[in-house]
Amino acid sequence: MLSENGKTETIRSINEINEKIRKGDAVILTAEEMIRLVESSGVEVAAKEVDVVTSGTFGAMCSSGVFLNFGHSDPPIKMTQCWLNDVPVYKGIAAVDGYLGATVLSETLGFEYGGGHVIEDLVSGREIELRAESYGTDCYPRRHIETRITIDDLNQAVLLNPRNCYQRYDAATNSTDRILYTYMGTLLPNYGNITFSGAGQLNPLCKDPNYETLGIGTRIFLGGGIGYIIGEGTQHNPSAGFGTLMVKGDLKQMSNRYLRGSSFYRYGVSLYIGVGAPIPILNEKIALTAAVKNEDIFVSIKDYGAPSRPDLRPSVKKVSYADLRSGKVEIKGKDVPSSSLSSYKMAIEISEVLKKWIQEGKFLLTAPVERLSRQTVVKPLEIKKKEPKVSEIMRINVITANPDDNVKEVAKKLVEKGIDHLPVVDGAKKILGIVTSWDLARALASDKKRLEEIMTKKVITVLQNESIDVVARKMAKHNISGVPVVDKENHVIGIVTTDDISKKLIEGKSTI
Amino acid sequence: MIVRLIYSPEVVEKPVLAEVILKSGVPINILEAKVNAQKGELVVSIPAKGNMLEKIFDLFKEAGVKAQKFTKILQIDYEKCTSCGACISPCPTKALRFEPDWTLAFDEEKCVACRTCVNACPVKAIIVP
Repeated sequence: MLSENGKTETIRSINEINEKIRKGDAVILTAEEMIRLVESSGVEVAAKEVDVVTSGTFGAMCSSGVFLNFGHSDPPIKMTQCWLNDVPVYKGIAAVDGYLGATVLSETLGFEYGGGHVIEDLVSGREIELRAESYGTDCYPRRHIETRITIDDLNQAVLLNPRNCYQRYDAATNSTDRILYTYMGTLLPNYGNITFSGAGQLNPLCKDPNYETLGIGTRIFLGGGIGYIIGEGTQHNPSAGFGTLMVKGDLKQMSNRYLRGSSFYRYGVSLYIGVGAPIPILNEKIALTAAVKNEDIFVSIKDYGAPSRPDLRPSVKKVSYADLRSGKVEIKGKDVPSSSLSSYKMAIEISEVLKKWIQEGKFLLTAPVERLSRQTVVKPLEIKKKEPKVSEIMRINVITANPDDNVKEVAKKLVEKGIDHLPVVDGAKKILGIVTSWDLARALASDKKRLEEIMTKKVITVLQNESIDVVARKMAKHNISGVPVVDKENHVIGIVTTDDISKKLIEGKSTI
Repeated sequence: MIVRLIYSPEVVEKPVLAEVILKSGVPINILEAKVNAQKGELVVSIPAKGNMLEKIFDLFKEAGVKAQKFTKILQIDYEKCTSCGACISPCPTKALRFEPDWTLAFDEEKCVACRTCVNACPVKAIIVP
């Protein structure tokens, strides 16, 4: 554990480091090597000896994409819609410029192929089908184009990623009784596993958490080529220690080893990207942060079973990257397997490649022209339009039955009242089961007498403050047409059916 | 040794597995079972080798149950695999793990061919032949 803050007197400048790199005298360590040196010789010695520490990370980074310029055809076209291998390209910019995002799905292959895969195919030199449409203008008469391109045919292919390299990322688990397929991978039921992302002690921002050396203009390793930090990333959250980077680099110099299209089952597509940054050891304080270990980097394990926004998902436990990397974490007295979604092996490789580049004098360091913000606050999206809640449409005069009731009499009651769903309750109106007209029809045919024998005991219920949108999805998922509304103690206070929801829709006031 | 046992309709109601366990004395473990009135399919782990394993295979044969050795259940394409680990924690039998250098490793004898990892892999590096 690193307890002291470290001295901030300058030991060396970036210019001095570059001079040493040119002469071949610079001492470069990967982040892992730096950790070992500080452990064995202390931070003072490490700060004196080491000029640069190299970091690296390799993981799925959804907020990524590439700006492309296709060049003009003859006659020319002002592309208004464009596809690469059936993956839509954003065409809200000039005639033959486009932006291909990593998460766009193919219109023909869906989850199997998307923007991330096109980027991998481009960087691999593969041929890509280009198709574009237009309305035709005097200056751009062509209305349709179909051709094949490779990355060499493009004037520019610039990887420009609004958010990469999350400093750290909360881990994921699943409390529900069904398997969840998320952007955090496959989450098994009943806390069956934990997944996490991030390189921890190798992550660039974890090595410089005060953003003293990483800022606008910092030269970095990006996708196997040279890139630059061009600002704070979107959702940059420095006060909570969840900084992010916006980066760019020339895709034409990059490698398919460090850019991989990926598909998350039943979630969507993304792009795995390798990013590495050099941390110049300008003072002892930076030497200390550059030696931070997995044991010192903490995240929460969030329950993805809750359909809430990320920061409101219940936190199950706080753990370090060392805990997560160990392969198991205890939750509720049980050892739960944990595994990463980002590749630590590739992160090590990136820190080693960057080290080699610097040692060979191919990569010089740059001082940031501006530091990353340490004040940015992340705000949620408020829903200002009123969303209808269950309480607005539920029927409160609920007809209920008791488990001992006679099937025949209950059937009669359903017909008289013209309803299809009958919650079965105890004396205190607590829910015990539910029967539908279909259950009753079957019961009458099989000659069963008591309601308890035929009722469904595992009842799907909703709360009155839930939004109708959520309830409609719940009913569709369980293939049911009505749900009892209960209070926190499971007392029946109302009922909602698909009929009620469609009536609300017809009113035209709903936003579902 | 992981083995798939295929029960024909004629023997599906007989306690073949229990009899083989009693006769051989080997504690065979059921990993997966799909049984109905028409047919049955079990995936079992047999902790035996050599003669004993052969004897167990003979016992199943005599009882009219087809026993197939599980070989090459799945393959990892290391050209594609980035050793990210997304397949490791979803694996119910811990057949996938990291080597000390964080390369993905696969222990075939632990695999029960549930294919959870095939879906969990983001780069489609796990193939079921």
